[in-house]
Amino acid sequence: MSTALVGTAPLLRTNVRYDGRLYAPWIVLATALPASSVIVYPWVFSTEQDRLGLSAAINSNPALGLIFGPAGDLTTVDGFNAWRSLALGGFLAALGAIFAVTRATRAQEDSGQAELLASGVLGRPSRLMAGVALALIGSLILGLVAGVVTSLCGGAWDASMLLCLTFTGTAWMLTGVAAVTAQIASDSRTANSLAVGALGVMFLLRGFCYSIQAPSWTIWINPLGWMQETKPAGTNTWWPLLLAVALTAVLVVVAFRLQSTRDFGQGSIAQRPGPARGKVRGTDRLALRLNRGPAITWLIAFVALGFVFGYFATSVTDILSSNSSVQQVLASGATTPEALAGAFVVTILSLVGILASIPGVQVMLKVRTEEMEDRVEPVIATATSRPRFYASNVLLAFAIPTVAVLIAGALIAALASSANIGVSFGQGLIQATATAPAVWTVVAISVAVIGARPAVSLAAWFGVLLSFVLTLLGPTFGLPEWILGISPFWHIPNTSATTVDLTGLLWVSLFTVAFLAIGFAGFRRRDLAR
Amino acid sequence: MSTPDDVIEVQGLTKSFGRFQALNGLDLSVTRGEVHGFLGPNGAGKSTTIRVLLGLLKADGGSARVLDGDPWRDVVELHRRLAYVPGDVSLWPGMTGGEAIDLLGTLRGGLDEGRRTELLERFELDPTKRGRQYSKGNRQKVAIVAALASDVELLILDEPTSGLDPLMENVFQEVVGEATARGTTVLLSSHILAELESLADRLSIIRDGRIVQSGTLVELRGKTRTTIHAVLDRAPDQAAVALFSDVHLDGSKFAGTVDSNRIREAMDSLSPFGFVSLTVAPPSLESLFLKLYGDEQGGTAA
Repeated sequence: MSTALVGTAPLLRTNVRYDGRLYAPWIVLATALPASSVIVYPWVFSTEQDRLGLSAAINSNPALGLIFGPAGDLTTVDGFNAWRSLALGGFLAALGAIFAVTRATRAQEDSGQAELLASGVLGRPSRLMAGVALALIGSLILGLVAGVVTSLCGGAWDASMLLCLTFTGTAWMLTGVAAVTAQIASDSRTANSLAVGALGVMFLLRGFCYSIQAPSWTIWINPLGWMQETKPAGTNTWWPLLLAVALTAVLVVVAFRLQSTRDFGQGSIAQRPGPARGKVRGTDRLALRLNRGPAITWLIAFVALGFVFGYFATSVTDILSSNSSVQQVLASGATTPEALAGAFVVTILSLVGILASIPGVQVMLKVRTEEMEDRVEPVIATATSRPRFYASNVLLAFAIPTVAVLIAGALIAALASSANIGVSFGQGLIQATATAPAVWTVVAISVAVIGARPAVSLAAWFGVLLSFVLTLLGPTFGLPEWILGISPFWHIPNTSATTVDLTGLLWVSLFTVAFLAIGFAGFRRRDLAR
Repeated sequence: MSTPDDVIEVQGLTKSFGRFQALNGLDLSVTRGEVHGFLGPNGAGKSTTIRVLLGLLKADGGSARVLDGDPWRDVVELHRRLAYVPGDVSLWPGMTGGEAIDLLGTLRGGLDEGRRTELLERFELDPTKRGRQYSKGNRQKVAIVAALASDVELLILDEPTSGLDPLMENVFQEVVGEATARGTTVLLSSHILAELESLADRLSIIRDGRIVQSGTLVELRGKTRTTIHAVLDRAPDQAAVALFSDVHLDGSKFAGTVDSNRIREAMDSLSPFGFVSLTVAPPSLESLFLKLYGDEQGGTAA
């Protein structure tokens, strides 16, 4: 083994030096999430009354549980922090780890750097080893930094450290997953998609199983469930972290086995010869062709999401009726079960909408990637005008999320209407349609960024991030309405209400048009591949 | 300077990226029907010029006309009439070479089926491989086939043979020759002089974003010097080598250059010392190239 791993140490040092800073944003995000919770909570929810109110509000909207998992004691700082940060913090840490592993292994093979390295004095498994080590060390640092900062900001030491080490645990397991997918896939994009897909499925299943109060074995077969079962600020159980370490070890061993049997630069799946003649004869078809894989994956994901959320909607009345604080609200006559169910459907469709905007933004980012890899240049050098080329991509960036929302919306509507919770199929579908304009606004922001200021292409995610924070986290911070109203999803009317107010959507669409105009004007005017 | 027969006319073109001045008042004119060599070292501004001519970059100043149109405004009109081979071809990883050729050809407004088949055969290119499987040379071939299979008035080729083996370079020269025989104008950028020497009718040499020398091959050759290497029986004296410049004297080994029209005098002054061996290299663009760059680099450094 000693000669096999020759070169790992210098390689790791180089990785840390050049890729290490790419890890920094993930550490910042994963630290900001719990640290902000412990700072903001006592300030926003200063009285016992406020805290009970928050607890009731969160428990009465089971849609939130899909993302955040089960709520413990929301009347303490640490309980609130554990609920708000555990799932998302782990998710962020895992994303950082996945990208780090892929970048250090598969992406290097794609770009040819690995060939330079592999021809040097370097053991065969060393590159994978260095990549895995980078991610493991990075996520350990992430957990420790987040834990210490959170404790210093006012969290309890044991609860905060445990909470933040679950981030590390999640990231370690996904490091293993990414090490495996980097061997199976034949390029870095596929490797990333497979690993992120695995993370997404486990994430969704965790929230779903907890929310419908599924039998406990469904939690224990899900590695992310182990992290939840540490119950920071509750029982503070540390041993499930060992399960994460064990799984990580197993996955890494599998990855090394796979690597030792595959050819350099190839995946486990071999390439077949393709057609000698092309059917792609226009920019629309080109855009579709380039995004075909991810588009199909996303649409399948939204079918699954529709089923999960729809099934969840059918049990919403049961879940609500089992909650005592909701019972009190209902008993006081302040609202009706139908109204709660209607509000629930609006929330859940907003969630679907925010998720659906992700593939739209990805299509626009793909335009930039293609441009930087000099593949837009030959297309624009033909008799294709820039607006024509850009329009093909924008069209697709709008179409994929729209179809996704409608697919998931139709499934949710169908399942919800079958369960007699007071929402008909038509109502559900109309509500899903009303969500689409808000999704378009979020996607249009990325159209503007890629068109006019592509140097800051990360800003294309701004809309998604803002909507997510304001729509899901905003209410728990007790933010005023005008701030919540920055999110386009806040303006989606509840179409089951007696009078439906569409002015909000009109405003939102004006922004969409403005963003599109900026994007097209920018793309027409700027230098390409700069 | 420009005549109605100019396919490309560029005057005083400037372009900067941030603080870096890529083009510095560049003039270039390419006449209809000629192969115009565009010669310069890496980073001199060849690709930037070409990208401005294609409307991919917007010039900061100066004027550029391509086929009597504005390369920035009349993009679609112009691009129907020209084809382009980039220096660093990047293909869609999942798309086969054949698909890429068809896509680019169709977007340009159609390609000549017969010529497509013929070119694939002559370049020995397998069109069923995916973009990511091609080697650099084969990616280059895909772009060359895509460009040459369409009927256009102007071919803009940016270092098109980088990565091609010598056999394929030959095929490339033949194919470009056939294109000019059909009346196509070619702008051929390169840093390989041999390629331009056999293909180009006229040359423009670029350095630091400016054309430093322009003319036909004969004109440029006239400005160059003949190189003489000789091993002599005994070391020549100072008076004998006064005629030469760039003199290197190592005992009886002599090397130096002389104006091409004074070779006779040069021989006369060396022959008293007795020749053991003698090589007289004809004026090459190489020497012009080296001289231009060597001199001016020295000039700017001083």
